[in-house]
Amino acid sequence: MNTAHYSVCIASNGRTIVAVDDFSFVRDEITFLFGESGIGKSMLCKAVYGLLDPDDLQVSVNGMPYRTFLNAPETRAARLSSFFVFQEPSSHLHPLMRITEQLREGSIAGPESEERILSRFWKTADSARLKSILDVYPKPYRPSGGEKQRVLLAMAFKKIALLATSKSNITNFFVFDEPTGSLDNSYRNLFLEFLFEEYRKRQFTAMIITHDYSIISRVYERHKNIIDKIHYKELTRLEEGRVTMHDFSPDDYLSWLERTASHKAAGTPAEEVVRIAPEFRIFGRGHRIFSDPERTKEAELVIRKGEMVYVKAPSGVGKTTLAKIVMGLYAPEKFSMTLCENGVTEATPRKFYEQEMWGRRAGMVFQHADEALDLEASVAETFEGLPLGYKLTREKLHGALAELFEGGVTDAFLAKKVKFLSGGQKQRLNLLRTIILHPDLIVLDEPLNGLDFDSVRKIIAMLEEKRKAGSALLMISHNEEIFDALVDEEHCYYLA
Amino acid sequence: MVWIWDIIFLNKPAFHKVTAGFFNTFIIALLVVLFTLAIGWMITLLMHSLQSKTNRAPYFIVTFFLNLIRSIPQIVGVLFAYVGITLLVQGSVITSKLLIIITMALCISAFIFLELVDLMRDRIDHFTRLDFYSAMRVCGIPESRVVNFDILWKNSRLHILNKLIAVLGYAVFLQCSVDFIISVGLSTDVNETTLPTTLGSLLAALDSKQDILAIGYTLTHPDYAGHLFLEHLQGITVAFLIVFSLVSIYHIANGYAERHRL
Repeated sequence: MNTAHYSVCIASNGRTIVAVDDFSFVRDEITFLFGESGIGKSMLCKAVYGLLDPDDLQVSVNGMPYRTFLNAPETRAARLSSFFVFQEPSSHLHPLMRITEQLREGSIAGPESEERILSRFWKTADSARLKSILDVYPKPYRPSGGEKQRVLLAMAFKKIALLATSKSNITNFFVFDEPTGSLDNSYRNLFLEFLFEEYRKRQFTAMIITHDYSIISRVYERHKNIIDKIHYKELTRLEEGRVTMHDFSPDDYLSWLERTASHKAAGTPAEEVVRIAPEFRIFGRGHRIFSDPERTKEAELVIRKGEMVYVKAPSGVGKTTLAKIVMGLYAPEKFSMTLCENGVTEATPRKFYEQEMWGRRAGMVFQHADEALDLEASVAETFEGLPLGYKLTREKLHGALAELFEGGVTDAFLAKKVKFLSGGQKQRLNLLRTIILHPDLIVLDEPLNGLDFDSVRKIIAMLEEKRKAGSALLMISHNEEIFDALVDEEHCYYLA
Repeated sequence: MVWIWDIIFLNKPAFHKVTAGFFNTFIIALLVVLFTLAIGWMITLLMHSLQSKTNRAPYFIVTFFLNLIRSIPQIVGVLFAYVGITLLVQGSVITSKLLIIITMALCISAFIFLELVDLMRDRIDHFTRLDFYSAMRVCGIPESRVVNFDILWKNSRLHILNKLIAVLGYAVFLQCSVDFIISVGLSTDVNETTLPTTLGSLLAALDSKQDILAIGYTLTHPDYAGHLFLEHLQGITVAFLIVFSLVSIYHIANGYAERHRL
């Protein structure tokens, strides 16, 4: 195996942002890189690819100053036949150039293979339709996030196709930074199929940064024949800024998933906490709740004590909107539900939620911990002001945090500003702030966002514990595989 | 250095006047900063609370009055407020010097505090649009804590401090301008015998005016320059203190904003 090894240190104003002794990947094979958000996955890949600004950051690669590394002949050669798909598609696209022009820019200028790739990613051979979608200037709202992501993937695949035609054995490095972040499962699967298909034609080096562990199941189900060419790595934090890269065992994930599925909660008759009417209307749009994936059977969404209900819908259909309506944060035009034995309609005033529900009988964990938490506050201050009904002493806080923070926490950790925590730590804190309140209903919007596998396991265990203790959980998540394993079909609802 | 130079070369009565003018000006300016902070914070909370009420009438009424204050040019407002202070002094309602200084600071604050209110309301609006606010509220954290502690204290205090540095500059500038206008002769009743000596009133004094005129004379007679720093010290010192203070405050505010990337 031809393995590339890099020791990388990235610092800014004397503070280490991320440093790793051995950042490695096997050349001409595919590596999936996991790790909690904010740990430095993207930055390390950018450093090795040669995308960081040496004037902006103090970077060293294999002990070399970054400028020396960038100018090294092998780095320059590799970049010519490589591609980096950025996490945020909008930041990659030029706002003043049509997408069709950008698809034929620079080294990917030729039209060869373009039609094949585009028709694959848009599941159509209709060139007129493709033209109508792609012959536009990218704007924040059009094409959609998913379409922009597919445009970037198409660019990368054009480069991969070019590689297939080249005769020489060129060093290459394809980085896909969260390539499926804005894609639903069907497009995610399409991307994987296409990637492995191209890989079989001509081997290349690919690093895929992701939080989507369900990719592992997909690989094991559908692509077992190239399993020896696929590697799973994970970054773990050692101390301030220092991380280590180690092998991630796919078996750990798959066996955990199996165990989780075998403990699937059975429906037990218990007191109802929420009953939502199947039809609601907000922002001039009507929404319906169904009990079947085909969306033929309209149904009331019911959550009883000790139940976890999972709401499924493609991105942008209104899952978060429904969660915010349930929590009284949005004023719907038409809505009806029973919440903790109280009738709630579109006319229910916000005061009802303020006085009766928020933090007392219902709580919500928001999707983005970075937005939901006060980043300037300390960890301890995050828990101040909560209506706990008792004094949250330092000892109690230590106890509560120990459940989700391995090895317990120190006083220094409690005094640390939230902004200095890693993405995973923030997300766990975000969750714990609501969990600690022990409300009857907990609405969870993407609670596994940006977490590493260890945190995922801990959070799922904690949610299960809460459920068993009698809390009603309303779950919104794109991690379908995990929640499908956790929630039986009877407790899944579909939004349209 | 200016102070040491003045001790050596400025005559005693003039030196006392300059010292008193400088300290009075800055005591008033610092009081303006304090009052602006207190009034601004209170009005911001009042507006935020009224804004979320279903009955919008009180919100519109308060907004109307605030806009009324906003419509008055600051310098004109302070000028008229000083006339009011004079009447109070003449009517012996205010007699102590300290009380006059506090009243002057309050009057200036009344026409400056909206600068801070606008900033604080902008910050609150920004955070309430984010999940930040909703996420905290649905956890049952009281609105007063979210607004006062999380938004204004934890996430806006650098912005507020930066604005208060600017307020210090406005206060010095407004005082000097209004005191100068008044002392030059808008009223014979309002002068340094009824109001405390400030840099503005000192600048308008006859001696200082002659000193300032000497600067102009020096432009056409450069050999006279040496006399400026020995014989015209009162006016030169006052002018220098005003200009230097304003430039310094401006640079401090800019540097602070740059350092904290505001």
